[in-house]
Amino acid sequence: MREPLIQVTDVSLAYRLARNRGGTLKEFALQLVRRQVSFEKFWALKGVSFEVRRGEVFGLIGPNGAGKTTLMKIVARVLPPTSGRVVVRGNVAPMISLGAGFNSDLTGYENIVMFGTLLGHDPQRMRERAPAIAEWAGLSGFLDVPIRSYSSGMLARLGFSVASDADPDVLVVDEVLSVGDQEFQKKSFERMQAMMSGGTAVLLVSHALDKVGEMADRVMWLDKGDVRMIGDPAEVIETYKATVG
Amino acid sequence: MSSANFYDSDRSRRPLISEMRNFWEYRGLIRLLVGRDLTVRYKRTILGVWWTLLNPLLTTAIMWVVFGQLFGARFAEGEDNYVVYLLSGVLFITFFSQGLLSTGSSITGASGILTKVYVPAEVFSLSTALASMVNFVISLLPLLVVQLISGVGIPWTVVLIPIPALALLAFVTGLGMLVASAAVFFYDVLDLTRVGVQLISYLTPVFYPISIIPDRFLPFVYANPLYSYLAVFRGFVYQGEFAPWWTFAMMGVTSLGFLTLGVWVFSKSWRNLVGQL
Repeated sequence: MREPLIQVTDVSLAYRLARNRGGTLKEFALQLVRRQVSFEKFWALKGVSFEVRRGEVFGLIGPNGAGKTTLMKIVARVLPPTSGRVVVRGNVAPMISLGAGFNSDLTGYENIVMFGTLLGHDPQRMRERAPAIAEWAGLSGFLDVPIRSYSSGMLARLGFSVASDADPDVLVVDEVLSVGDQEFQKKSFERMQAMMSGGTAVLLVSHALDKVGEMADRVMWLDKGDVRMIGDPAEVIETYKATVG
Repeated sequence: MSSANFYDSDRSRRPLISEMRNFWEYRGLIRLLVGRDLTVRYKRTILGVWWTLLNPLLTTAIMWVVFGQLFGARFAEGEDNYVVYLLSGVLFITFFSQGLLSTGSSITGASGILTKVYVPAEVFSLSTALASMVNFVISLLPLLVVQLISGVGIPWTVVLIPIPALALLAFVTGLGMLVASAAVFFYDVLDLTRVGVQLISYLTPVFYPISIIPDRFLPFVYANPLYSYLAVFRGFVYQGEFAPWWTFAMMGVTSLGFLTLGVWVFSKSWRNLVGQL
């Protein structure tokens, strides 16, 4: 049996909510002298374990503050877990925070290259792909314009187009099923489905329970950092709905 | 499998080695970030790249008026060409102060990226420090022109300028990474650094010649690492000579020492960095 592409084993993550957080060095020094340094720990995730295999879509549901975003960031390698272990095999396309690192002073072309490189692609490859990426987003005529003059819809389309221009083994998706206008939504949904069907392991987070139920093979319900339930989508979603009321 | 497509959170980071490997693996991104730093800086101003050339010239002109003319000849005595002495000092100390302050804010400044996409944070520190070195290299042009015009000339030793420039780059990167890690946890660190930078700039013989310093203060001047860097740089750029051996020793030890210290402290704190941003 092939190994799972995403392997999360007993992962916990604590944010340090020290009383001096966001504080100053001066205050910290004073606290140190008075021996009042204390760190409050906020556990965003507590002992979460799951695996996602190739070709599987794994849904993540739960109320705000359940730890969904934190878990995605851990799988996307942004946050290191406080304890436990994460193993991700293959290249990851994080369809979260599309357009992180866009710089309004740079042109569309420069931003495509920059964002793609931030996502781990080779700059040369991005330079070659840039025209195709812009065309797919319907922005061919705007490549040499600073993105300061783009509308928010144009920015979202550009972000999606760059992030999805990859052949990933692992796809991490956060509520990006609704980008741009109707036509582009349909187009991006189709591309997302094509990416999901090609033997990728997908971690999908959404508040749209119907969509999750439709797309996911298994669903995990998170609540305040704890795993409440994990299993068949219909079953988990039904129980979740019943509890939330 | 390369590290790009295999991630195991248990594989622990090895101080220094991991950072150096990240610098190498992300060299494409570093090049882009340096380019972005420079283009953004130049696109925002009307004068563009000329600003880099003009700014130190203006500073030098003002210092020349204040210290060279108003305060009388005391500052200029013992220096054959006070303007070249001033300008070389201003350029070098600008590289240090701008480089340290921008590197110090490189991680907090990139929080929008670091909290969303995986990129090793140290990549941002190195590229910021590199951008200030590129700026410094560009700003050498007006200095060389002034040297030609004023008759000082350009000695062959200018080809050795990469030695003090790279040493200061290492010093700024190391010190900057210390500041950048600390700035994530305490927001006043950058303000304190700004004050510190100003103090050490005044304690470095940028606009006054070393000859006017009373003997009893000399040990303090020599203890300031920047004095050594600047002495080596001035020796190469216009005096056409090698500064005393001990300045090279001081430069080598402090640059490698602070680079190692900065990267090592960063390595110890990186696990908590992103969570705090």
